[in-house]
Amino acid sequence: MADKPSDLVQGTLDMLILKTLALEPMHGYGIAVRLEQMSKGVFRLNAGSLFVAFQRLQRAGLIRSQWKATENSRRAKYYVLTDLGRKSLSSETREWGRQVAAIARILEAS
Amino acid sequence: MSLLRSIASGIRSLFRKEQVSHELDEELNGFLEMAAEEKTKQGMSRKDALRAVRLERGNLDGAKEVVRSAGWESFVETFWQDLRFGLHMLHKSPGFTAVAVLTLALGIGANTAIFSLTYAVILKSLPVPNPDELVRYSFSEPGLSDLSISGPAYDALRKHETVDQDILAWSGTHLTVRENGNVTDVRGALITGNGFRVLELAPYIGRTFGEQDDAPGGGPNGDQALLGFSYWKQHFDGRKIALGQALSINGRSVRVIGVLPPDFDGLIAPQQADIVLPLSFEEIINAPTPERHGPPGDNWLTVIGRLKPGESLESARANLQATEKIVREEADPSHRFMGGLQFHVESGRSGRSFLRGDYSQPLLILEVLVGLLLLLCCANAALLMLARVTGRFREFAVRGALGASRGRLLRQMLTEVGILAACGLGLGIWLGWAAARSLVSMLGTIGEPPALDVTPQTAILAFAAGATLVSVIVAGLWPALRASRIDPALDLKRSEAVSSFSSNRLGTWIVPAQVALSITLLSSAVLLGGTFIHLLLEHAGFRPDGVTIATVDLSSVNPTPKQAGRDVRDIAKALKAAPGVEASTILSGLPIDGGWTASHYFSLGKHGEVHTDMQTWVEPASPAYFEVMGTRILEGRGFTQADEGGARVCILSSSAAAYFFPNEDAVGRFVYSGGEDPHEDGQVLDPRNACRVIGMSEDARFLSLREAPPRVLYNLATGDEWGTGVSFAVRSSSSSLAAEAIRNAVRRQVPGIPDPEIFTFNELIENHLGKERMLMSLSVSFGCVALLLVALGLYGVLARSVTLRTKEIGLRLALGAQPRDAVMQVIRRGLHLVIVGAIVGVPVALASMRLLKGLLFGINPDNPVAFAMVVLLVFVVVVGVSCIPAWRSAKVDPMVALRHE
Repeated sequence: MADKPSDLVQGTLDMLILKTLALEPMHGYGIAVRLEQMSKGVFRLNAGSLFVAFQRLQRAGLIRSQWKATENSRRAKYYVLTDLGRKSLSSETREWGRQVAAIARILEAS
Repeated sequence: MSLLRSIASGIRSLFRKEQVSHELDEELNGFLEMAAEEKTKQGMSRKDALRAVRLERGNLDGAKEVVRSAGWESFVETFWQDLRFGLHMLHKSPGFTAVAVLTLALGIGANTAIFSLTYAVILKSLPVPNPDELVRYSFSEPGLSDLSISGPAYDALRKHETVDQDILAWSGTHLTVRENGNVTDVRGALITGNGFRVLELAPYIGRTFGEQDDAPGGGPNGDQALLGFSYWKQHFDGRKIALGQALSINGRSVRVIGVLPPDFDGLIAPQQADIVLPLSFEEIINAPTPERHGPPGDNWLTVIGRLKPGESLESARANLQATEKIVREEADPSHRFMGGLQFHVESGRSGRSFLRGDYSQPLLILEVLVGLLLLLCCANAALLMLARVTGRFREFAVRGALGASRGRLLRQMLTEVGILAACGLGLGIWLGWAAARSLVSMLGTIGEPPALDVTPQTAILAFAAGATLVSVIVAGLWPALRASRIDPALDLKRSEAVSSFSSNRLGTWIVPAQVALSITLLSSAVLLGGTFIHLLLEHAGFRPDGVTIATVDLSSVNPTPKQAGRDVRDIAKALKAAPGVEASTILSGLPIDGGWTASHYFSLGKHGEVHTDMQTWVEPASPAYFEVMGTRILEGRGFTQADEGGARVCILSSSAAAYFFPNEDAVGRFVYSGGEDPHEDGQVLDPRNACRVIGMSEDARFLSLREAPPRVLYNLATGDEWGTGVSFAVRSSSSSLAAEAIRNAVRRQVPGIPDPEIFTFNELIENHLGKERMLMSLSVSFGCVALLLVALGLYGVLARSVTLRTKEIGLRLALGAQPRDAVMQVIRRGLHLVIVGAIVGVPVALASMRLLKGLLFGINPDNPVAFAMVVLLVFVVVVGVSCIPAWRSAKVDPMVALRHE
């Protein structure tokens, strides 16, 4: 089962959602598909964890939501990045970069 | 910000549940549809597409549940559900609910009551800003601690203790207030002019004293007074009009300038200060002295200082040590008064308390006992809850099967215990408050009850809540864990009997634990009860039945003791002739009242050897004294009228006689009063110091019922030794007649003084035994409650086991067992539980009763009879309680039992 989608590194889902929304407002399914596409199928998201994350981000004031029609004229809830969310994304991205570099250094040592 | 948003969003989903849930539904459905659409585009049938999405993305209903339970509001919501369900379940079994709530309320209430008292007596600080900055100075001498400080010593301390911002002096006093023609005795206090500045205490209304007000004659504004809050409420109806009004206090017109805050009762517990005056008013109450704050030998001040910022109790001690020599020099230049006294400084946070020393140990003991009682109550509640879990195991199994998680079942049970405990808490606080108030009135039975505020305050409520939390955990956690561990797969198939087996096994250690706890509680009850009875029955050298005592304050009409002598004799004469009075006498002080006197006497033996006693207790007595007080004359004779005015005669108590004349007959011999120097003994310098012994009386416990009787020398009273405060004792067949006679005699002979305080000798003894009585009655009631709880707990366990084993018993009976065997089986089980409990409990009780040692009298903490009694009592109760389920087991009809189920 080598092609089984991996679990996300803990705590990174929020950052990834914010990143997806930084491009444009998107509904839940759209976000899931975008994440899958961008990760080339590595991350496949469970609906439960995705929507819990939406609720969490919304309560933290990082994203807003509004009902809009989709391109297929279906009513869907679109999530929009707030200013606070944008700031948080850039600081989290920087932090993530630092950590990844540090971990890489440790793993490459020896 | 985000917290606010989270709360707002949570509240929205709580109150607009429908809409929020609808939106979530729509959103998730959209998600599903969109995903399915994608798949159908790739050629799947719609049904397969939906299935595939579910497989990939998880069950959407599950997702909904996950999203819903992620926010904090879901916690509130499940709590609300649990609460409603719990209330419903409790409502369905009112009997269980009532017993459980009462059990918990009892435990919590008892703890609240004792803690209220402990808080009021020991923990509470003065209601002033930063009470931790206060330090208190006191004297001590060997055997006596926490003595007041003399005026000159206070002045010297104020001058030299540089760690303090300033130091105040306070003294409790009695004031005679004339109001609309009535004269009343009011508890008052005097304070130095800097006092309220040191305390940083602001008045409720009006103003407090300043430095200039504490001057002879009341300073520039004349005499001024502050009223205590409750006195103001009672006498002025809490009206502002009181300010500026004049009161007649000890014959002076004193203007009210302010009212003290409601929580301020004074600096000395439990003396409530109803009227506070400047310290200079002392010269009005008593005669003026040349020194500003009294002579060096007169220790009458409570002294409290406020430390400068940055100073501590340690630096105050160091300061005192460094300056002690010069303070002594200034305060007592003649070195005659302070030689035996030691200076102390300690925290003044709680002010001074006359109860703290006496009640610290008893309250500690009571805290321990009441803690054990709470454990016992919790054990019973736990047994009740367990029985309930067992009874509802099917419900739990079903809920588990339907998907309730372990945590959810645990929460449900804890919520139910929480509801019970919350009801117990409410009831317990109420019970505790009522109990604490009646305990306070137990602390003193004569005069006004001690001013101790036991109304529930933050600290007390917090304590009660803590006790409740403990009981929820102790009583609820185990049953809750038990409930959550029910395995639906197994338990749904099982019969009740098998499933409840393990909870029954739990009873086998809860009941012995209860027995052990109750043995400890009952032992303390027996020991403390025994002490009280011993003290009551101990012959104290008095015959208190039929004696009525009155204390009379003559100070308001007699400025000097000399003048008072005439009034005293007039009252005594009037009493003698009053109807219903068999005999009456004047007392210099109340017996067993903590008062203490010591004089120097010596005697010369047959061969010229000297017996010196520096601690002879001199008791002035009238001819009727021995008849009234009931002290028997063992040899010789008592005083008669003929002795008055003749040569000096005296009567010795038997221990005094044995001391002065060992192995000799005391009657007819002489004792001599000595001077201040014991070395002058043996030379009879003045024949007037000789006193002929005419009789020997039995020993009488003047000091206290516990302490050995002092060596007493009874003098024939001349009448002038009484001060302005005297007591009369009357022997009469009716205490109401006696009280009436005293009241009339006082009113007629000396009009214009406050009514005497009248009580019986037995009431005086009860008052003296207040501490013992409180310990006895509390420990005995704790013991009884403990026994009741054990009985209930054991009954529950046995009754349940009989019900569960009906089939087994029926089978045994059908196979030929006798009903007697069934009965014995149940009783054996009961006894087994108790024996295990007793094996643990007796050593625990034996060890812990050593704590009581200092409080016991006439009974040892390891008294085998006491322990045998306790164990026997527990056994009797256990056998009695076992009989009911045993009888039921014998009544089992094999035919019915076997057809059962």
